[in-house]
Amino acid sequence: MSKPLIEVSGLAMRYPTGRMALTDTSLTLNAGELVVILGANGCGKSTLLRCVAGILQPTAGQVHVAGEPMTALAGRPLAEARMALGMVFQNANLVKRRSVIANVLTGTLGRHRNWKTALGLLPKAERPFAQRCLEEVGLGSFAEQRAGTLSGGQAQRVSVARALAQRPLALLADEPVASLDPEASEELMGLLRRLAHEDGLGVLCVLHQPDLARRHADRILGMKGGRVQFDQKPADVQEVDVSSLYTKPAPEALPA
Amino acid sequence: MNGFALKTVPAPSEKGSAMPRRRLNPLTFLFIFLGIALFLQSAIVVHARPQDLITGAAGIADILRRSFPPDFAGLPDALWPALETIDMGLFGTAIALVFALPVALLAARNTTPAKPLYFLSRGLIALARVVPDLVWALIFVTAVGLGPFPGALAIVIHSLGMMGRLFAETIEDIDMGPVEALTMTGAGRLAVFSHAVVPTVMPSLLGITLYRLDENIRSSLILGFVGAGGIGFQLLTAMNLFQYRTVSMLLILTFIIVVGVERISAALRQRIA
Repeated sequence: MSKPLIEVSGLAMRYPTGRMALTDTSLTLNAGELVVILGANGCGKSTLLRCVAGILQPTAGQVHVAGEPMTALAGRPLAEARMALGMVFQNANLVKRRSVIANVLTGTLGRHRNWKTALGLLPKAERPFAQRCLEEVGLGSFAEQRAGTLSGGQAQRVSVARALAQRPLALLADEPVASLDPEASEELMGLLRRLAHEDGLGVLCVLHQPDLARRHADRILGMKGGRVQFDQKPADVQEVDVSSLYTKPAPEALPA
Repeated sequence: MNGFALKTVPAPSEKGSAMPRRRLNPLTFLFIFLGIALFLQSAIVVHARPQDLITGAAGIADILRRSFPPDFAGLPDALWPALETIDMGLFGTAIALVFALPVALLAARNTTPAKPLYFLSRGLIALARVVPDLVWALIFVTAVGLGPFPGALAIVIHSLGMMGRLFAETIEDIDMGPVEALTMTGAGRLAVFSHAVVPTVMPSLLGITLYRLDENIRSSLILGFVGAGGIGFQLLTAMNLFQYRTVSMLLILTFIIVVGVERISAALRQRIA
């Protein structure tokens, strides 16, 4: 654990519209650590996550994932470097008509690039491994069920299992509890924490719920206006710091 | 309940009513007038003369009399052409399906790999669709000679256009979430398509194909008229030889085929959905 898993330094992102979504943003994510990014809508947290994942190309700065310079790669090498990152989205994004296990197996497709998988066949040899991933998220008995019949919380956990099937070093989660009820949210965050602490994954998670972040995160990163405001252990994060993330700019900045 | 509400809430006055009385506005009037004018010009252009139907009634009665009873002695000879007709539709639909899938993939805005390919495939679809299958049949009869094969080819091309467009529209309507998720796992482009898009659109695609099969068997009947074999060709021959009793038998056979295929296709589509 000498080198951080994800290292972001001096990241800036200016959209073609001219808006600065990120300014001089830096962060580190170590293996075995769950880091939550908090912030209001439009504070740049999703942009940051997308830059780390290599979906967006930042205007300036560097992203290293397991030593690979993501920002310097493109095409196939980028896709391969990206395989170290498992993504969990706001929605589970499962193929609803397929079975749960088939959905998990699609997470292994990056390792099995051949004509069989291109034609829609699933890598059979990975089946026991996919089953283990499913058991990891507590849904081992749901393998043969259609993904469309799952509850929101179950579907999101299957999407975590799919990300695990990719054998990632880190998970990037973009508001993974946005469409879940409080109980399912708690369960999912508990799962992400366990994956970090027990399986040694690095987990970077964008959240909207300060209380969830306090309960589960090892570190909380507060963002506002495209800048990191604080980067602290939950116990050290002051209530005023959190609420300041969500306050609007001073009234004089607003048009009358 | 309603009466109570009426008592407490003052009734809106006649003029300021929330639901104004519908008045024919001049524009509506103009459109109705234009509609009628449009219809009248069509009646003139097609030389619509209802009196011709009345004077022609005797001729129609004569033909009906001469086509009765249907000549079922010729039925065994008509069975092979009937099979030809059905198979033209079957073969044409199957081949069109194989080609329509990749073309639709290129012609769907959300899955096309490059803009030029999008326009190319859209153009191909438009060309195949805009030229009627009858014209395609005429072209192929000239190219490969008489018989069911040119008819099948015509159906392939025309259906490729029809199915390609509907497939592409179905693909454009899907939720892109799974596509994005699979792309991020490092899967290849084709694998993303076959694992995320195909399972999602499969039922719709099958439905479209079955509906197309039904349409294709019906149009393969007509294709016989331009020399593409099958029942249509038999029908044309019998007409030309004034064998109206054979014609009526063939029409009954046609009716059975069309209704049968329609029912089977509808039943299968219902099971998929």
